[in-house]
Amino acid sequence: MSSSPDPPASRSRRRRSAAQAPEVVDVDHSFDANGLYALRATLAAHASELGATDQQIEHLIIVGSELANNAVRHGGGSGRLRLWHHGSTLYCQVTDQGPGIADPTVGHSRPDPRSSDAGRGMWICRRLTTELIIENGPDGRGTVVTAAIPAPKIRQPGPDALR
Amino acid sequence: MTDAVTTDAVDTGDHACLTFTDAEERLDLVAAFVRDGLRSGQKVVCWTDTISPDGLADELTARSVRPRAALRRGQLSIAAVSGSLLGPADVTAVGMVKVLAGEVATAGREGYRGLRVTADMAWATRPLAAAGELMAFEAAVTGLLGEGRLCLICQYDRDRFDAVTLAFAAKAHPKTVAAQVYFEHPLLRICRQYSPPGVRIAGQLDYRHRDILEQALTESTRLDRHMHLNLAGLDYIDGACAGVIVAAAMRLPASRRMTVTCRRAVATVLDLVGGSAAASMRVQQAHEQQP
Repeated sequence: MSSSPDPPASRSRRRRSAAQAPEVVDVDHSFDANGLYALRATLAAHASELGATDQQIEHLIIVGSELANNAVRHGGGSGRLRLWHHGSTLYCQVTDQGPGIADPTVGHSRPDPRSSDAGRGMWICRRLTTELIIENGPDGRGTVVTAAIPAPKIRQPGPDALR
Repeated sequence: MTDAVTTDAVDTGDHACLTFTDAEERLDLVAAFVRDGLRSGQKVVCWTDTISPDGLADELTARSVRPRAALRRGQLSIAAVSGSLLGPADVTAVGMVKVLAGEVATAGREGYRGLRVTADMAWATRPLAAAGELMAFEAAVTGLLGEGRLCLICQYDRDRFDAVTLAFAAKAHPKTVAAQVYFEHPLLRICRQYSPPGVRIAGQLDYRHRDILEQALTESTRLDRHMHLNLAGLDYIDGACAGVIVAAAMRLPASRRMTVTCRRAVATVLDLVGGSAAASMRVQQAHEQQP
């Protein structure tokens, strides 16, 4: 991906530490439309295990679900969600094999509720995250969206979880 | 088995069976039955079993019925089923019919144009309860209804009664009262709410059921001057469905209101998609609870 000339990829190079999932993650979960309930339950259970507060868990579920819904609806019908934590931040990354997100700046303004859904999910995600990185795959196939959710109270990883 | 009707379709002379699986649904239907009775100047008697008389009064208050004033002036009476319908001695069908006939006579003497009675039949599921007498009562009560002054709704918890009793109850009651359900699934239930009128949604709601949500909201917009969205039992809503709700609120004219009761996670999404910008929308925080 580092050879990709497009702006999102070059942005991702700068933010490699945030956008790149570590080898050891807290959750690695494939999903499709029928797996969205299970995905939310998994996110809640793991975030709770990490010591996140109820509100942080709510935000994680909202963000993770919007990204997963996007993957199912616009990204080829299925995807993969990875959750990890670093310092006092939870990272939630959703990967799909869809046609990519044409506008990586989507969701910076609130869509009118009376108009279509377009951009609403990303708007929600941007409001609940400190960072939202959208990367399109090479050749315009696939999207990786990485969201950072502040969670100051989460349990710090032990040495074996650090890479 | 008869087709289910809503509480506004029962009137004097009716003997209806209210079957339910969740307490919210039962209390909603009971509240609508009590509210309509009080509004039309009838006497209303509630015989409660699962919850205390005081608890039922509180539940009615929470559902926009004002029971206290009606209790004070004697138009409404709330009593435990044991000690009223069931009487002090052995439970017999004859005894229960007599108690009910006494209430009809009293209401007539007091000048009410009719009497509405609703009774929680959960007592019959307890060990050693005279369940057989309940069946005899349901069959014998027909005589009283012929006079056209009584309307009786008997409440049966589908989870507590056995299939044989439920089948008998369905047959013994000429009408069945139930909430209109738009969607029913272990993970999502969308139904109409009667008091206060609107829509009740529990479980998890996302874009896959957006059409059903729109249908329920459209119906409520048409029927209810002020819409109440009871989302207290909703664990999750996505932006697509939250957008549908906010858009419905924005389409209301300034004289109408949409009141949404929900927990924090749902309130967060409603707010993010523009809920706070919808002038006719009020969001009330429900207690954080495990459904």
